[in-house]
Amino acid sequence: MLSSTRSTRSRTTVAVAGLATLALTLTACSSGSGGSDDDTAAGGKITLTVATFNDFGYTQELLDAYTAEHPDVEVKQTKAAKAEDARTNMTTKLAAGGEGLADIEAIEVDWLPELMEYPDLFTDLADPALDGRWVDWKVQQATTTDGKVIGYGTDIGPSAICYRGDLFEAAGLPSDPAAVAELLGGADATWDDYFAAGTAFKAAGGGAWYDSAMSIYQGMVNQIDNAYEESDGTPKDLSTNTEIQDIYTTVVEQSTTNGLSAGLEQWSPDWDAAFQNNGFATMICPAWMTGPVEERSGGVTGWNVADVFPGGGLNWGGSFLTVPASGKNAEAAKELAAWLTDPAQQTTAFENAGTFPSQIEAQESEAVQTFTNDFFNAAPVGSIFVNRALAIDGAPFKGANYFSIHQTVQDAIKRVDVEKTDEAKASWDKAVQAFKDLGLS
Amino acid sequence: MSSIPVVAQTAGAGAARAAARRPNRRPVRKGTGGYTRRPGWVTYTVLGLVLLVSVFPLYFTIILGSSTPEAISKDALPQLLPDMSLFTQFAEVVGSSAINFWKAFTNSVIIAVITSLSVVLFSTLAGYSFAKLRFRGRGPLLVFVIATMAVPTQLGVIPMFILMSDLGWIGKLQAVIVPSLVTAFGVFWMTQYLSESLPFELIEAARVDGASMFRTFWSIALPAARPAAAMLGLFTFVQQWTNFFWPSIVLNQENPTLPLVVRSLQANYFVDYSLVMAGVFLVTLPLIVLFIFTGRQLVAGIMQGAVKG
Amino acid sequence: MSVLTPTQPNQGLDGPPRPTARRVGFSQRLGRWDVKLSPYLYISPFFILFAVTGLFPLAYTAFVSVHEWNLLGGQGEFVGFQNFVDVLAQPTFWKSLRNTFSIFVLSSVPQVICAIIIAALLDQNLRAATFWRMGVLLPYVVAPIAVSLIFGRLFADQYGLINGLLGVIGVDPIRWHADAFASHVAIASMVNFRWTGYNALIFLAAMQAVPRELYEAAIIDGAGRFRQFFSVTVPQIRATIIFVIITSTIGGLQIFDEVRAFDAQGLGGADRQWMTTVLYLYDVAWGNQKNFGRAAAIAWILFIVILLIGLVNFAITRSISTSGPSKKAPRAVQRARRKAAAAAVRAQNASRQRTGTPPRRPSAPTGAPNERKKR
Repeated sequence: MLSSTRSTRSRTTVAVAGLATLALTLTACSSGSGGSDDDTAAGGKITLTVATFNDFGYTQELLDAYTAEHPDVEVKQTKAAKAEDARTNMTTKLAAGGEGLADIEAIEVDWLPELMEYPDLFTDLADPALDGRWVDWKVQQATTTDGKVIGYGTDIGPSAICYRGDLFEAAGLPSDPAAVAELLGGADATWDDYFAAGTAFKAAGGGAWYDSAMSIYQGMVNQIDNAYEESDGTPKDLSTNTEIQDIYTTVVEQSTTNGLSAGLEQWSPDWDAAFQNNGFATMICPAWMTGPVEERSGGVTGWNVADVFPGGGLNWGGSFLTVPASGKNAEAAKELAAWLTDPAQQTTAFENAGTFPSQIEAQESEAVQTFTNDFFNAAPVGSIFVNRALAIDGAPFKGANYFSIHQTVQDAIKRVDVEKTDEAKASWDKAVQAFKDLGLS
Repeated sequence: MSSIPVVAQTAGAGAARAAARRPNRRPVRKGTGGYTRRPGWVTYTVLGLVLLVSVFPLYFTIILGSSTPEAISKDALPQLLPDMSLFTQFAEVVGSSAINFWKAFTNSVIIAVITSLSVVLFSTLAGYSFAKLRFRGRGPLLVFVIATMAVPTQLGVIPMFILMSDLGWIGKLQAVIVPSLVTAFGVFWMTQYLSESLPFELIEAARVDGASMFRTFWSIALPAARPAAAMLGLFTFVQQWTNFFWPSIVLNQENPTLPLVVRSLQANYFVDYSLVMAGVFLVTLPLIVLFIFTGRQLVAGIMQGAVKG
Repeated sequence: MSVLTPTQPNQGLDGPPRPTARRVGFSQRLGRWDVKLSPYLYISPFFILFAVTGLFPLAYTAFVSVHEWNLLGGQGEFVGFQNFVDVLAQPTFWKSLRNTFSIFVLSSVPQVICAIIIAALLDQNLRAATFWRMGVLLPYVVAPIAVSLIFGRLFADQYGLINGLLGVIGVDPIRWHADAFASHVAIASMVNFRWTGYNALIFLAAMQAVPRELYEAAIIDGAGRFRQFFSVTVPQIRATIIFVIITSTIGGLQIFDEVRAFDAQGLGGADRQWMTTVLYLYDVAWGNQKNFGRAAAIAWILFIVILLIGLVNFAITRSISTSGPSKKAPRAVQRARRKAAAAAVRAQNASRQRTGTPPRRPSAPTGAPNERKKR
C-alpha cells in the first residue's frame, strides 16, 4: 500500500475537507435561525416585512414609531435598488405561488395593468374609513372594475416643466419662472404653445428644446383617456387609431423636422452627458425627476422649475403598497399599509426622500407646501407640484395590453428620433406591423 | 528536477522540498530558446497592454470612489489619482445603518468557500472518473453532463424557486449553496484537464502497488490536478462572490450577500456613484487578496507540469 | 462519445494482481467491487445534485411549454405544440436568432484566439509571473456596474469617447446603437473584455501541464517558437481547446447581461436589431406579455439549437485537431513524449524504493498507448 503518501499535504487536504463539512453543518444551523421567515416570534409578537425599492422615505425611525404604537408588531424593510429588480423579484415569487413575498410589497403604477388581471393575488384593501385620503384618480388606478382595491397610494408624479434659465437668457427668452410659465402658455397651456416656444428658442440660436421625443410622446399620450384600448379592455386597432397616429406625427415632426428634440433616450449615457453639454433646454419634470437631474448636472447652475404643463395636468409614475394574499398576516399587514400611507407618515417620507405624497392632507401640509429645492435655484417645488397635481383631472385607462401596444409606438418614435434609421411614415408602418404581430385582434 | 513532484506525490512534501534543495540537479541551460529562458520585451509590451486594459475598470472604480458626486457628473475621469476620501467612503459603506455589511461579508465568505471547495472536490472526482476510468455508459453520461450546460438558466428560476420554497430554504444560505455544490462546467473542465495531463502510467503504478481506487485518486490524481483545481476554485469563488441575480431572489436584506448590499447603495433617486463605487471596490478587495494566494498555486503548477507526460 | 476526451482509458476494468496472497477471497472481491463501482461513485455527486436541482426545472419547463400559461395567472389549457408553432412564426424570434449567432461569432472567435495567444505569452519564465497572470483575470472580477459605466461612455452615440476620437481624425461617428452590425461589435467587445482573460487562464493551466521535455526535444529538432507552439503546445492541450470552444459556444449563445444593459430599455433596440434569443425569452416571460408558456417553448428551442451548434463545433474542432499539425510533430517530440511518461513511472518506483516499498514494473507497456492510439 502507498502508506508513504500519508504526507503532510494529504493531511492538510483532509483537514480542509473536514473544515468544509463543518462549515456546511454550521451554515445549515446558523442560517436556519437567521431566516426571516419565522413570522411569529416569542410572546405572540409578529414581524411584518415591507419590500420597497429606490427610496420610499421609510426610515428605521419611522418604522420603529409603528412598533411604539403596536408593541406586538416589529417592522422590517427590504429595499431593492431599482424598480426593475423589485419587479422581477415579485413576479418570480408570484409565479412560484407567492412563497417568500414580503407582507407588504411596493409596486409601481406601471405594473398595475398586469396585476389587476389577477386581483386574487392580493388582499382587498378597500376600507370606507379611508375615503377621501388620496386624490381620486390615485385610488381609481388601483381599483378593479368590481371595486376591489389592490394597493394604497404612496407617492405620485405630478409633472411640471424643468428648464435651463441660463440657456433661456442666452436665447433672449425670459428666465424668471413666472414669465417662463406664461411663455409656455400659462394656466391653459397647450402642446402647440410649448412647441412654438421651442421654435422661437431655436430661431434665437438655441440648441435642442427638449431631451427626448419619447418622453414628450409619453406626456401627450398619458393625457388621453383611452389611448390604445376601450374602457372594457378591448384593444383598438393601431392602424386605424387616428388619435394616436396624429400625436405620433406631431411629436415626430416637431422633434426631427423642426429639430426641437435632442434625439436622446432617457437614462442612456448620452442623456447623462447631455446634461453637461447644454444638450437641451427643457424637459418634462415629474416630481421624482428632480433627483436624477441634479445627479447628472454637477457644475450646471441654470436649472429651474416652471409651474406650468402643456395640455392639462400629467401624472408620471408613482407607487402603491400592496398586501399579497399569500401572506400569513394579511390583516396586520393591511393595518400597517394603511398607517404607512397615512398623510402624517407620507409627509415624513416626503421630508426624508422627496417622494411627493398622493394624500390630499399631506399635500396641504406645511412641510410640503413650503418645500424648496436649492439646486433648482430655490424653486418652491413643493407648492409647484401641488399645483400640478391639482391640474390632473383623472387617470387614463390602462388595460392588460396597454404597455405592449405602447411599446410598438415608442419603438417607432425611437427609430425616427434616436436611432434615425427610418422616416416617420416607414417607422409608423413598422409599428402597425408590430401591433399585428402581437396577435391581439 | 523532474522527479521532485513525483517525490512530493509519493514520499511527501517534505521529501520533495529536500530533493528540490539539492543544488544543480539540472544546470540552467542558456541560449537554448527553451521555456526556461526569460522572454523578451515584446512579450512584456503585449502583456503590459493587456494588463492596462484589464486594470482600467478597477482604477476607474477607485477614482470614482474618491471623487465627489458633483465631480463625477462633470468629468468622465474626475481625477487621476485616488485620495484619502476613499477611506471615508469605505467607513460610510461599512458603517451604514441601512445595510448589513458584516453579515453580508460573512455570508459571502461562507457561500464562496463552501461552493469552491465542494466544486473542486466533486469535479475532480468526476473528472478523474470520466477521463481515466472505464465504465459502462461513460461516453453518454459525459455528453449528458455537457448538455446540461446548454439549458437556458433564466427560465429555471421559477421552478427552482418553487423547489427552494418547498424545502423551506427561502432566505437561507442553503438556497444559494446547494444548487452550486458541483457544476457541469467543473466536471467537464477536470475531465479535459486530467485526460491530457495525468499519464495512465502513474495510475497503473499505483494500482499495481495495490492502492485502492480512492487512494489512487487521492494520491495521484488530486495532486496532478492541482493547477486546474486552483483555477476552478478561483473561478467558482469569484462567480459566487459576484453573483447577484439568484441570491437577490432567494435571500433578503436580513440575510444578504455582498453584491446585494452594494446594489442597495444605489437605492435612491439621486444615485451617489462615489459611494456606490467605493462599495464596489471594497467588495472587490478580498478577491484581489485571494488572487495573490491562488496565483502562487498556479505558478507552482509549472513545477508540477515539468514531469507530467 | 469517449472522443470528447482524447484518451482511451486502458485500465480500470480488471484489477491488477494483488501484491499479497493473504485473504485472497474477500479482498479480491472487495477490489473488484472497488474497481467496478468507484467510477460511478465519483460521478454520482453531480448526477444526484442534478436530479435534485436540475431535473425538476427541466421537466417543469417542458410541462409549461405545452400549456397556455401566464406568468402571474398560472397554468391554463393544454395546447400541445402550439407555443412552439407560435414562436417559430414570430419574426422577432428569427431576428433574435440571427443576432445571437452574429454576436456569438464576433465574440467567441477573437476571444478564443486572443486567449490562447495571451496564455502562450504567460506560459513563459516571466518575472513577477503571478502579477501578470492574475492581472488578466481582473475584468472577470470587477463588478458589472463599473464595466457598464465605462462601456456606456465608450460606445455612446453622441457624446461617446470612441466617436469623439473618430471625430478628431475626421471619421463619421459610428451609430453604435442604431446599426445592427455596429451594435453587435460593441456588445461582442464587452463580452470579450470580460471572458478573454478567463479563457486565457484556462489555456494557461493546460499549457503548464505540457511536459517541458517536449519543448526541449522540439528545440533539438530545430523548431522555432511558432513551430513549438503549433507542433507541441496545440496538440498537447487539445482537450482543453475543445473544452474552451464548447463552453464558450454554450455561453456565447446564451448572452444576456451585456445585451440587456446595452441601452436603457434593454429590449435590443427599436428594431430589435441586437436582441438575442435569451433576451427575447426574458422579454416574453417577464416583459409586457408575461407569456410563460411561450417563453418555455423558446427555452427548449434554444436548448436544442445550442446542442446542435455545440455538436457541429465539436466535430469541426475534432477534425482540425486530429488531422492537424500533430502529425507533423517532430520525431524527437514523439520520442520525448514516450520517454517522459516512462520517466515518470521510473521516478515513482524509485521513490517508493526509498521508502521501503518493493519496486514493481507496471503491467501495461511503458509507452503511451493512449497517445499512440489517437495518432
